Amino acid sequence: MRVVIDRVSKTYADRRGQAIEALRDVSLTVESEEFVALVGPSGCGKSTLLNVVAGLTRPSAGAVELEGDFAPGRSATAMVFQESALFPWRTVQANVEFGLEELGVAPAERVRRAREHLALTGLAGFETRYPHQLSGGMRQRVGIARALAVDPAVLLMDEPFSALDAQTRRLLQEELLTIRERTRKTIVYVTHTIQEAVWLADRVVVLSRRPGRVLATVPIPLGRPRTEAQLVEPGFVGAVERLWSLIKAEALGALREAPA
Amino acid sequence: MSVRVPVPDRTRVLERREHPVVRVLALAGLLVLWELVTRTGRVPSLFLPSPLDVIQSGVEMLRSGELVTDVLTSLRRVVLGVGLGALGGVSVGLAIGISRLAEAVGNPLIAATFPIPKIALLPLLILWLGIGEASKVAVITLGVFFPMAINTYAGVRSADPLLIRAAVSFGAGRWSLIRKVLLPSALPMIFAGLKLGAGTSLLLLVAAEMIAANAGIGFLVLHAQNLMETTKLMVGIVLLSVLGVLTHWLLVRCERAAIPWTT
Amino acid sequence: MRLFARGIAALALAACALGGAGEVPGQGAKVRLGVLKLTSSAVLFLGAEKGYFREFGVEPELVFFDAAQPIAVAIASGDLDVGATGLTAGLYNIVAGGVKIWIVADKGREWPDHNLTALLVRRDLYDAGARTLRDLKGRTIGVTQIGSTFHYNVGRLLEREGMAPGDVEIVPLQSLGAVADALQAKRLDAAATAEPFVSRLESSGAGVTIIRTGDSLPWQIAAMLYSDTFARDRRRAVAFMRGYVKSSRHYFDAVLRKKSGPEFDEVVAITATYTGARPELIRRGFPYQDRDGRLMPGDIGRQTAWWYARGLVKAPIAATGIVDESFLREALEGLK
Repeated sequence: MRVVIDRVSKTYADRRGQAIEALRDVSLTVESEEFVALVGPSGCGKSTLLNVVAGLTRPSAGAVELEGDFAPGRSATAMVFQESALFPWRTVQANVEFGLEELGVAPAERVRRAREHLALTGLAGFETRYPHQLSGGMRQRVGIARALAVDPAVLLMDEPFSALDAQTRRLLQEELLTIRERTRKTIVYVTHTIQEAVWLADRVVVLSRRPGRVLATVPIPLGRPRTEAQLVEPGFVGAVERLWSLIKAEALGALREAPA
Repeated sequence: MSVRVPVPDRTRVLERREHPVVRVLALAGLLVLWELVTRTGRVPSLFLPSPLDVIQSGVEMLRSGELVTDVLTSLRRVVLGVGLGALGGVSVGLAIGISRLAEAVGNPLIAATFPIPKIALLPLLILWLGIGEASKVAVITLGVFFPMAINTYAGVRSADPLLIRAAVSFGAGRWSLIRKVLLPSALPMIFAGLKLGAGTSLLLLVAAEMIAANAGIGFLVLHAQNLMETTKLMVGIVLLSVLGVLTHWLLVRCERAAIPWTT
Repeated sequence: MRLFARGIAALALAACALGGAGEVPGQGAKVRLGVLKLTSSAVLFLGAEKGYFREFGVEPELVFFDAAQPIAVAIASGDLDVGATGLTAGLYNIVAGGVKIWIVADKGREWPDHNLTALLVRRDLYDAGARTLRDLKGRTIGVTQIGSTFHYNVGRLLEREGMAPGDVEIVPLQSLGAVADALQAKRLDAAATAEPFVSRLESSGAGVTIIRTGDSLPWQIAAMLYSDTFARDRRRAVAFMRGYVKSSRHYFDAVLRKKSGPEFDEVVAITATYTGARPELIRRGFPYQDRDGRLMPGDIGRQTAWWYARGLVKAPIAATGIVDESFLREALEGLK
């Protein structure tokens, strides 16, 4: 499934009614089975762009189109949120079934698919727990399972691991890579960590500070499947350094101007 | 010269020990003292009947079936009133929490009518609905309706926008959103309203049964007061407090069952 | 302990008593006298105003109440020495509950041509032919309270008609105002009520009087009460009674016998200053009572027996345990 982002702009009004231009004329194509990471200084509109792709934010101008086969019982996109956004009143199992319910999948099939994705994300045995009984990392796994269960053509991830401690983040990154190898999902991944972007993605797109524009697209010269050894390869280090030099000026500018 | 001393335990000041025995003794002590005071014979039983007399009177009233009738009559009124009030309150609260139009209509109306003490409406309700069951149930319904509507509304409005977005991102429609996100979000607030309403409902029950009733705990209390039967009056008061405690206990149990996700 | 008991009763009274604090009863010359601020208390206003009590060395201190029952409770607790109040099941239950209070003299009777209370039927039922109590079978009759004088009225009238207590539904509405409102709103079929509500309901067309209680059922509806402490203070209890008899005679001669004239008008005026009621209402509301303050023979015993038989008084009460006319007899001897 390809994602074609065509000259998308987004302007919204803040609480005081002032117009904020979040995105200006962003064009980007994510190829089928490609893993694209969006990076940029805070407040650059990368989350806004992800929301536009998810259909959760209406663009002021431009359009997003998905190209590919649409099978029934399958969602076009599914989102993994930064703070898991699990329904606290649903058990782990019921949370994973949520998207399937909305797709109209039969109950027995729902149970089967939820179980399958809970196993995939290492959550077997936790089906009857409630979110508040889980650690942050476990909750994020449930969030991923919930998104994968609807078998989305495109998986959208909005800084999914940024609230976790470093060890847990590293483990989940590895799990995500494994899952990607198995499912071959097209993934759009927002992060503010350059290392994470390089480590996970095939291509890293740098957005400028507000209004967000595509500043650069950096292909990552690392083969798949990714291994820990690659973390010290010149290709990895070089990409990180190149991205940092691109973002540094933007980040400094953003730091000076934004009290937000 | 160096010495080794244990680190002083500073937690003792924070300790608050449980005293389960004292709890029971305090209540029992009060009853014994009360009984002793009445035993001296210096206080006429008219003013202060002894606990044993109250218990005996209660047992007699239970045997004669009078108590059963009163309790069942009151319970029916409370259950009906609370049920209708809760249903109406939750529906209206959901409606004004979800729809801007309903909010525009309902909010000022509720704000204007909520502060009216429902007891003050009782005479009016009697004129409108008669001296029968309808006016008694109606006043309880009103008393429960407002806290339920207001709490449901607040609960719906306080629903986490992130969860709403998450639901929508999975294609949830309006009805799905109400049923699967807004309603469960509001549930803790709804239960808080229900507890509030249940307390009010007992108060209103007694008030309603003090006018034109032939049975019920409120009637029992008033009847005993009119006839200067202090022992029966005490039975009624004890019954009300037991009913209040039981209702609260039951609601807490229901709440735990209905909201298992909060600790 | 006595103080404790009085403390409890005083709490109950605090809301009811309109009068201010006075001296401790039993000390000094003042007699604390609980009365309703109504025309029915005219004889006591008259006694206070004309100095009949002072003549015998007692100074009454009027304590006003807005309901009859708290007067009985205040006498039971000893907060009042004397009270003028209606005879209700509640009062009898105070005695049945082991507290001594004494009924010592007449203070008002249901009496032919001096009706205090009446039974009214809703206008449309009356027009449809409901003219007697029998026609009200299966219907609702509003009263103030269970155990009230109105309840007694209805109960005794039913009995005289050979009807059972369950033949009508007695609905207690707590106040005469609420009874009147309910009849007006057609939420009741009939009402047992008193002036001024009788006139008001008739003139508004809401109801029609079918029974004037005094005409069909004369009975001792109200009486003078002594607290046990006051009754033990024999000298003052008799002295107070002498003043009361003088006052009664004045009342009987000026009001009940003459029915008009300057002496009648004087009593009306005195009553008006105490109650603030309109003179034309006062003229209609004077109750009948014995010229010498004598109680209707045997009537208290009949009442207590009647209430006891219906389970509304919890123990049988011997007349000697509640009625004491010895003060009256002694007072009358001294006055002749």
